[in-house]
Amino acid sequence: MNYSIRSIAKTLCMAICALALASCGVSKVVIQGSYPSPNVAKLPLSLAVVYDEPLRNFSYIEYSETGAEEFNIASGASHVALFDAVLPAMFQSVVEAASLEEAESLGVDAIFVPAIDEFQLALPNKTKLDVYEVWIRYNLRLVSGDGSPIADWVLTSYGKTPTENLRTADAAINDAAVVALRDLASSFSLSFAQVPEVRDWLASR
Amino acid sequence: MKALLPLLVVLLASCTSTTVDEFRQGETGINSDESIVILGRRHSSDYETRAEFVDCVGERMTSGNDSISVIPEKEFVDAMFPWFEPRTAPLRTRDLERLMAEPVVAEKMAEFGVRYMVWLDGFTETSGRTGTISCTVGPGGAGCFGFGSWEDDSTFDARVWDVASLQNVGTISTDATGQSYLPALVIPIPLIARVEANACVRLADQLKQFVNGE
Repeated sequence: MNYSIRSIAKTLCMAICALALASCGVSKVVIQGSYPSPNVAKLPLSLAVVYDEPLRNFSYIEYSETGAEEFNIASGASHVALFDAVLPAMFQSVVEAASLEEAESLGVDAIFVPAIDEFQLALPNKTKLDVYEVWIRYNLRLVSGDGSPIADWVLTSYGKTPTENLRTADAAINDAAVVALRDLASSFSLSFAQVPEVRDWLASR
Repeated sequence: MKALLPLLVVLLASCTSTTVDEFRQGETGINSDESIVILGRRHSSDYETRAEFVDCVGERMTSGNDSISVIPEKEFVDAMFPWFEPRTAPLRTRDLERLMAEPVVAEKMAEFGVRYMVWLDGFTETSGRTGTISCTVGPGGAGCFGFGSWEDDSTFDARVWDVASLQNVGTISTDATGQSYLPALVIPIPLIARVEANACVRLADQLKQFVNGE
């Protein structure tokens, strides 16, 4: 095959232009990770969990200093996967319900409704630190089987991952978010029965 | 002169100095049916012990004479979830004592046959970057010209906890420094000081002797 200098230069130019265009667009990061089941004593409760649409489709957009969309981080599916791994290890039985109304008709002891309040991302080029950081604030709600409120509390989780050569920003953000999700799982599974309202409710049963 | 060039390159590349200090606080020794687990500290806000360094020390300890059975960090942390996460991991031996009071933790630890828990804490810092290298691409070709150098400093501590007695039995510290060079005359020639790799090898060898009670 014959390649002229002109054709090589043309191909190179096209590749550089394509790269430049790609770097201008928003980078979509779908958080993916594996979450182990916690080794904790099971509570003798039947639980229904409701993952509402805002949680299932949760995504966070990080803007650059010029106001352009820089990263679109979708973590809804990963949150559902996390709770699916954690809840069955914490409770005697767990069923998923599409809505609060459906959950109330299942005759369970309690209904759990997790929600994401706030998501924050810190990038090394903005913080001047050599780490990618993710903070997530959750609003966790527990209601009894008939829908009366038991507890409504806030839980925060944090994850970080250091910058490394040959690791993309997307991969680093994913890793930091997975650490934050594991942090949520550990805090939630270890502190659930210590939440004052939950503790009182468990004691009254 | 040409024959000496590769030798000079090797000498420059291996220009690393490593110091290892051992502080023993108790007797050690391990049976063939017992294992150790090496874990990285990740609770500090500005750095975390790299998983690759932890793996490197573990791999080195499982090879050669007097090799020791080492449980991979991820396998152990996942199996013990959520007790060894950055926020929940024991920072002192009395925290481990409290943790071992949890039946699920004690059961898993016995399953793994863990005799010693080694906590690695440290990082590698790069400083003193000097020089410049400029590269040019043109229709006639590409090339770089210039010179760069930097210094790497790896500082790691390994604290060894005896899971049987729930005591800190010793600490091994390692400090490795090395200067790396990057001369570029058309092609950049990296002469990288293997600072972290040397710290890993020296720390692992010392740890192996320490755990075996030598």
